Amino acid sequence: MNAQATREHAYRRRFLLLLGGWTVLVSVALVVVPLVFRNRLPDPLAGHWGPSGRPDGTMSFAAFMFVVPVWLLIAMCCLGMAVRDRPLPRRATRTRLTTVLAWAAAFLLGTQALTIGANLDKGHWTQASPLSWQVIPMLAGAIAVGALGWLVGRLGPGDPPDTEPPTGPLIHVDPGKRPVWLSTVSAPWAIGLTFVAFASALSLAVATLLGWSTWGWSPVAPLALAFLVGLLLSAVSVRVDPGGLTVSYGLLRWPSRRVPLARIGRAWVDRRYPSDIGGWGYRGLPGSATIMIRGGECLVVRYTSGGELAISIDDAATGAALLNALIAHPPPSKERVS
Amino acid sequence: MLLTLDLNDPRPLHEQVTTAIRRAIVEGRVHPGDRLPPARDLAAALGVNANTVLRSLRDLRDEGLLEFRRGRGVSVLRRPDAREDLKARVRELLDEAARYGYRRDDVIQLIEELA
Repeated sequence: MNAQATREHAYRRRFLLLLGGWTVLVSVALVVVPLVFRNRLPDPLAGHWGPSGRPDGTMSFAAFMFVVPVWLLIAMCCLGMAVRDRPLPRRATRTRLTTVLAWAAAFLLGTQALTIGANLDKGHWTQASPLSWQVIPMLAGAIAVGALGWLVGRLGPGDPPDTEPPTGPLIHVDPGKRPVWLSTVSAPWAIGLTFVAFASALSLAVATLLGWSTWGWSPVAPLALAFLVGLLLSAVSVRVDPGGLTVSYGLLRWPSRRVPLARIGRAWVDRRYPSDIGGWGYRGLPGSATIMIRGGECLVVRYTSGGELAISIDDAATGAALLNALIAHPPPSKERVS
Repeated sequence: MLLTLDLNDPRPLHEQVTTAIRRAIVEGRVHPGDRLPPARDLAAALGVNANTVLRSLRDLRDEGLLEFRRGRGVSVLRRPDAREDLKARVRELLDEAARYGYRRDDVIQLIEELA
C-alpha cells in the first residue's frame, strides 16, 4: 500500500514535469521560430488561402504570434486539471490531457510552419506559395502526434480498483414523519452564457425581421439552440422523499424525472469532475449517465436494474443517507409502483 | 437540506414549514452562510404552495435566522440561541398538549410536578 503510494507520488512528479516541460518547449518553439525568420517574411503575411490554393487574406506579424497565447491557454487548462487531481488523475483523464496537449502542439506548430514556409523570402503576401494538399499531411501529422500523446498518457499506474463505495450512515426515519431532502446547484457562468445567447438570438432575429442585419437567419438558430441547452443544463434540483428520487432539470425545473424508490438499489457519494467524464451537461447514455453542473461532490444512484445515475449536487451525503435509509426501511407507501 | 414534516401536525401549514426549516437550522443541517433552496423548490418538495413557504421564510427572517439578499436568494444568518430554541420547542409542546386537551396551565402544572 505504502509502496504503491510512493510509486504514484513519483509518477505524479514525472507526469507533471513532462506536461510542464512540453508546455515550455512548445511555447519556446512557437515564439522563437517566427522571430528567427521575421526578416525574411513579408509584413503583412499571407494568412489565408482560398479553395484555389492562392493566398486571399493577410495578417500582421503580431496577429501571427497570437498562436502563443492560444497555446498557453490550452496548456494552462490541461496543467490545471493535472495538478488538481490527487494523488493522480485517472488514466482516462491523463490520456485525454496528453492527447490534447500533443495534438494542439502539433497542429499549432504545423500551421505556423506551413505559413512561414509559404511566405518565406516572398517580397509581398500576394506572391506567397499556394497551399492546398500540404494541409492534409499536416493534419495527419497532428493526429499522429495526438495518438503518441494518447500512448504516453496510458503509461503509469492504473486506476485504483473500483471498490464498492461505502454507503455511509443512515438517517433515522420516524414513521409519523415525512422526510424530504432537497438540494439545488447551478453554474452561474452557464446561466450567464444562456442569457447572452438569448439576448443575441433575440436581437439578431429582430434585426433580421426588420431587415437591418445582413447575416440572415443562419446565426439565429445556433444561438437559440445554445439558449435552450443552457436553459436545460445550467442548473439542477434534486429531491429525495419517501416516493423516491426526483431530478428537475434547468432553470425552469422542467423537464422533471422521477425514479420510484423501488427502482433504486443504493446511493453513495463520489467526487467527479468535468475532465473525468468529458465536459459539462448531460454526459453518457441513460444507464450510466452523469449530470455535471460543476465538478466535485456527486450523488450516485444505482438502479436495481444495474444502471447508474450521477448528479453533481451539494450535500450529496445527506441525500445518499436518506435514500439508503428509505430503501432499508421503506415507508408504508401510498404510491403504487407499477 | 433535510426537512421533516410531521404528518399528524394539526397546526397551520406555514407554521409547520417554519418549524421544519427552523429545526434544520438548529440541528446543523444547514449552517450560517448556507443558501436555502429556492422557495419554489421547497414548496414542491413539501407539497405546499410557494406562498406558504415564502410566509415561513419571512417569519424566520423576522426572527433573525434568515437573510434575504437581492439576487442571491435566502441564506442562513445564524443559529437560534438556546433560549429561542427552547421557546420554539415549548411552543410545539403546548400545541401537542392542546391536541390531548391540555391547556397552558395544565402544562405549567406538569412542569412544576417534575421540578
